[in-house]
Amino acid sequence: MSEVQWRSSGLPVTQAKDVTQSSLTLDADVVIVGSGAGGAVTGYELARRGKKVVILEAGPYVPSQEFTERFPESLEALYQDHGGQTNKSGDLLVLQGACVGGSTVVNACVCFRTPDFILEDWQRDFGLSDLTSEEMAPYFERVEKNLSIEDNKEHEIARHGQLIRAGANKLGWSVKPFKRNIRDCALTGHCLSGCKTERKQSMLVSYLPWATAHGARIYADSRVTEVLAENGRARGVRAEITGHDGNKVADMTVNAERVILAAGAVQTPLLLLKSGLANRSGQVGKNFACHPSLYVSARYPEPVHAWRGAMLGVYVDEFLHPDQGGFVLEDGGAGLAELTMTAEPGTGEPFMAFMEDAKYLGGLVTLIHDHNVGTIRWEDGRKVIDYQLANADFPSMKRALKAAARLHLASGAEQVYVPSSDKRVIRSEADIEQAVEGLENAPQHLRMVSYHPQGSCRMGADPDTSVVNADGESHDVKGLYVADASLLPTSIIVNPQVTVYALATRIAERMA
Amino acid sequence: MTQQQTARRLSAALQQGVTRRRFLKWTLVGGAGVAAAAAGGFALLRLSPLDDQPEPDWADGLSRQEYHLFDRARVALLPTVGTDLTPSSQVPVVHNVQHILGFMGAATRKDVATGLSLFDNGAVFFHGKRFVDLDEATARDYFDAWGRGNVIQRTLATVIKQLTYTSYWRDESTWAAVEFDGPVSEQWGLAYLGNAPLPDETSLNQESTV
Repeated sequence: MSEVQWRSSGLPVTQAKDVTQSSLTLDADVVIVGSGAGGAVTGYELARRGKKVVILEAGPYVPSQEFTERFPESLEALYQDHGGQTNKSGDLLVLQGACVGGSTVVNACVCFRTPDFILEDWQRDFGLSDLTSEEMAPYFERVEKNLSIEDNKEHEIARHGQLIRAGANKLGWSVKPFKRNIRDCALTGHCLSGCKTERKQSMLVSYLPWATAHGARIYADSRVTEVLAENGRARGVRAEITGHDGNKVADMTVNAERVILAAGAVQTPLLLLKSGLANRSGQVGKNFACHPSLYVSARYPEPVHAWRGAMLGVYVDEFLHPDQGGFVLEDGGAGLAELTMTAEPGTGEPFMAFMEDAKYLGGLVTLIHDHNVGTIRWEDGRKVIDYQLANADFPSMKRALKAAARLHLASGAEQVYVPSSDKRVIRSEADIEQAVEGLENAPQHLRMVSYHPQGSCRMGADPDTSVVNADGESHDVKGLYVADASLLPTSIIVNPQVTVYALATRIAERMA
Repeated sequence: MTQQQTARRLSAALQQGVTRRRFLKWTLVGGAGVAAAAAGGFALLRLSPLDDQPEPDWADGLSRQEYHLFDRARVALLPTVGTDLTPSSQVPVVHNVQHILGFMGAATRKDVATGLSLFDNGAVFFHGKRFVDLDEATARDYFDAWGRGNVIQRTLATVIKQLTYTSYWRDESTWAAVEFDGPVSEQWGLAYLGNAPLPDETSLNQESTV
């Protein structure tokens, strides 16, 4: 095994601007598509075991020091489709990182283990009998230790979180500090724009530098266009390296007997569909879920400054179990650009008054246990995220919305803004029923955002109903693996990054 | 259906005194909106004095109609009189809209162009003139009506609002009035922590499983 070469800052990444040949061919033991949660973890775990690893990332390499802490600019630089990725009807913004480090660079650091009852569902309904809480616990422990995952300390609970915690206590609802993957949080509130001073333990400053310390090579600006297979075995990938001006710089082929797809729950199924592989079950791209969430803002009588302090402080898990409602409420900070998207306070003067009072606004994020009703597919050469909130999930969304309104009011809010396309303001408990029950489950009526695409290449024991097995390997193509949130056979209600880290660790271990 | 055919059909409907409800059912739900998208956009149903006013040199990513539409949206959606907020005339709102639209793929951009034209022309059926010629109060009523309308109407009203809002509030000159801090790390002199140290691999390597 070669010498370990850890560097204290930055990453050795080959970018389009570094490429001088029009065609590159590389040989590796493992080629990994995507450098986010699944790609970085499998990359490190395999590289440290002596495997020759190449990681290909379609997005750019943006060093932390170049993060601007301006959310609109960050959307353009760091997110999929420059922040414009939506479902087919355009009423659900699907936010995913599209840069070296993937969504881990731009998430809000929230860390949950997969709930036990979700693992039990997977064992019962998908034959994933190995994925018990006991089996998964050591993997969770390892990633929690590696990524400095700890409960928020008191100083990390910003004013908006303190208010929400007090309201939850008043209602007698269970409220807890978040666990986050962060070292010495500087309380800038700019998590979604990337952590400029490298406190968030994203893949950019953890598993990727560790992987390269063990010899893994990372290529940015490199979009994989085809997975190659012969006689039922993976043999590598084809990719294109494209400059930031949109011009192709080079074609690339990576020969490898193991291919790991970790491009995220939208891109991974698209790549498989384009390659015509691993779809004997017909399930590639199906079963997409995404935790459609609402940001419920409310006006408080005192300044909150929702952009100050740690972005996420506490959460309410009173309703986490499906028998109790199947949703989570998360206290959430927001900047000005985000706040403009959250509510419809009226047009013209009412909107400007809403924004003029922005410092009085606090927010709650709702996450629901949505059914896997979506499909990812190609249509006339364009990707399609065909997902609408299911009628079966609408009651859950409304329950979450009502609970958020109650919590805001209990926390002292004077007005709660329903995130709908028409103006709906709740000023007292008596308003809640009418404001929420009057909503329709129709496109463009609710302002939804998804941060957690998942489920589009689900794992399971049955090759007829799933794409990969419990070890992440395709039922159809030996040596072809999936190691991102595509794997998850059901939505997991909570933020999925730790689930992906743990599953990716396990997949790599069983590959090695 | 070509652009000219679409325009003729809409003009004919207008001359026949088609009702708003019928227009919406026919144009927006019945598929003419989609047909127009396929045809590449509407021709103008009614001329505006603004049609002769050229867009600025920098607006090479917007059609003339789009430039005037977003400038009207700026005025209607971002009133600041009587507040401490920065007047929208001092913020490059339309320039920022153009910047955002510049990130769209060609097919999506074409769809958006068609939608914007639909929004502009749709006002003829409600108010007898295009959106770009509506006074501020009427323009706001028009947004509200479309916000309560069908899917395509809600989509367009939302898209135009979001583009306009974001293009205003992303500008640094708007922040002080609402005490928004903007970027802080450099201002606070925060130290860069660099990469996390390697995990203790001795213990990891000794484990056959985790």
